Amino acid sequence: MLDTLTGGRVVAGMLRGTSNEYVTYGVNPAESRERFVEALRLIVRAWTEPQPFGWLGRHYEYRTVSIWPRPVQDPHPPIVMSISSPEMAEFAAANRIGAGLAVTTVPRAADALRVYRAAAAAHGWEPAPDDVLYRAAVHVADTDAHAWTECAPFATPDRPVGALSMANPAIDDAVAGAGYYGRERAQQRARVASAGDLRERIDTGQLLAGAPQTVLGQVADIRRTLGAGVLELAFIAPSPDSRRRAIELFGEHVLPRMAEL
Amino acid sequence: VTSFAQCRVAADGFDIRYAEAGEGAALVCFHGAGGLRVSPGHELLAARRRVIAFQAPGFGDSPVNDRTATMPELAATMLAAVDALGIDGFDLWGTSFGGRLALWTAIAAPERVRALVLVSPAAIILRPRPQATPELLYAHPERRPAGAPPRPEVQAQQANLVARLMEPHRDPRLEAAMRELAVPTLVLFGTEDRITPPELGRRYVELLPNGHLMLVYDAAHAIDGDRPEAFAAIAEDFLERHEQFVVRRESGVLYP
Repeated sequence: MLDTLTGGRVVAGMLRGTSNEYVTYGVNPAESRERFVEALRLIVRAWTEPQPFGWLGRHYEYRTVSIWPRPVQDPHPPIVMSISSPEMAEFAAANRIGAGLAVTTVPRAADALRVYRAAAAAHGWEPAPDDVLYRAAVHVADTDAHAWTECAPFATPDRPVGALSMANPAIDDAVAGAGYYGRERAQQRARVASAGDLRERIDTGQLLAGAPQTVLGQVADIRRTLGAGVLELAFIAPSPDSRRRAIELFGEHVLPRMAEL
Repeated sequence: VTSFAQCRVAADGFDIRYAEAGEGAALVCFHGAGGLRVSPGHELLAARRRVIAFQAPGFGDSPVNDRTATMPELAATMLAAVDALGIDGFDLWGTSFGGRLALWTAIAAPERVRALVLVSPAAIILRPRPQATPELLYAHPERRPAGAPPRPEVQAQQANLVARLMEPHRDPRLEAAMRELAVPTLVLFGTEDRITPPELGRRYVELLPNGHLMLVYDAAHAIDGDRPEAFAAIAEDFLERHEQFVVRRESGVLYP
């Protein structure tokens, strides 16, 4: 429906989901990857199949599937999926799916992209900048000092910017023990728990914050280091007015110059 | 594991071999181009039905079949074999080549076929089919039922017969008859099938007035070998409830 309303501009982001979600929905975390892969196959089939069909999966079973209206993009909207774990980076590359990097840092994203690009090369293709999306939090103010002061409340240890927190850390232990994290278990747990102080978050690209020129420099660094052609930004600010100001500054002074990067 | 008895019946001038197990409503099964092989799917269905898996004349250890010229002729022979077993109404399952044969059989005797299950049917062929290797037949070759493949001369003899009976690849008479076939029909294609790709499935439900397409995830051409439990469950439910199978009958209440 959204693809129809937008005249075919939907890019579909597909995520396995975070460990806490598997707890909430009562799904065995050890089966999360194979559920994700099956669900992705089913969704693409639903987008592309012109006749009603049933699906006899391992994790999903539907006797009749017929979505209406179909997407206008042919064969279907492009897909971006999280590639932070090596398993999913290899899967995305094998299936020519765009790379999404969120709840991460620029150095960790660079590691994940090395796996992704190597696997893509092994499958005979080379991801373009538009195939790489990086997500971060952002705040823009008139000066660096002003922006950083306004961001400070969002970067206390109990407010991880862009990171995931679980009220009860024992739950993440339980999910990890069930096999949610794959072959890089320690690194992946560190990734989603990562936060650091304000300076560290800015330095590692979890948070883009400062005057427009500073933020533009951070964007340029992401473009250069990661080869990312798509930025997904969450504007954080202490008040609606300061958020509006941040969006204006970004729109007037950062966005127009991003095309030059 | 249900054990299948190896039996023979004389029909239409042929000595026809079949494997049989189970009790209850008769389910007649037609094999694919590779010949008769009892699969875990047969075994699971035999728990609640009388499963009769025929070997078509000219396959396996049977003499060379130079007589049967067309699929409708073979369908008449197979109906004679069903008659010879004293069976009137029956359910019918056909795989690949056997799916095409099953369609012709249902077209010849729609009042006798209660429901039809087509597994990776080869009734509509758009492109030359690749040689059916184990890697193409199974998404999980380790699940291939035990037993050696037929001897090379038997394979050549079967391939000759299949090539003759599968002409023409697109048969306007068959497709016209499918439009008139009211028998409830379940059409299964494996998502990993490269012999009859799952995109063919839509063509069957476009033609069959009571046709229902199910895509079997992570199965290749030999669906009942790759995903026997899933195959048997959906086939069993469809044979029991026909088109009502789209409706869930289990209650959604977790605890009263």
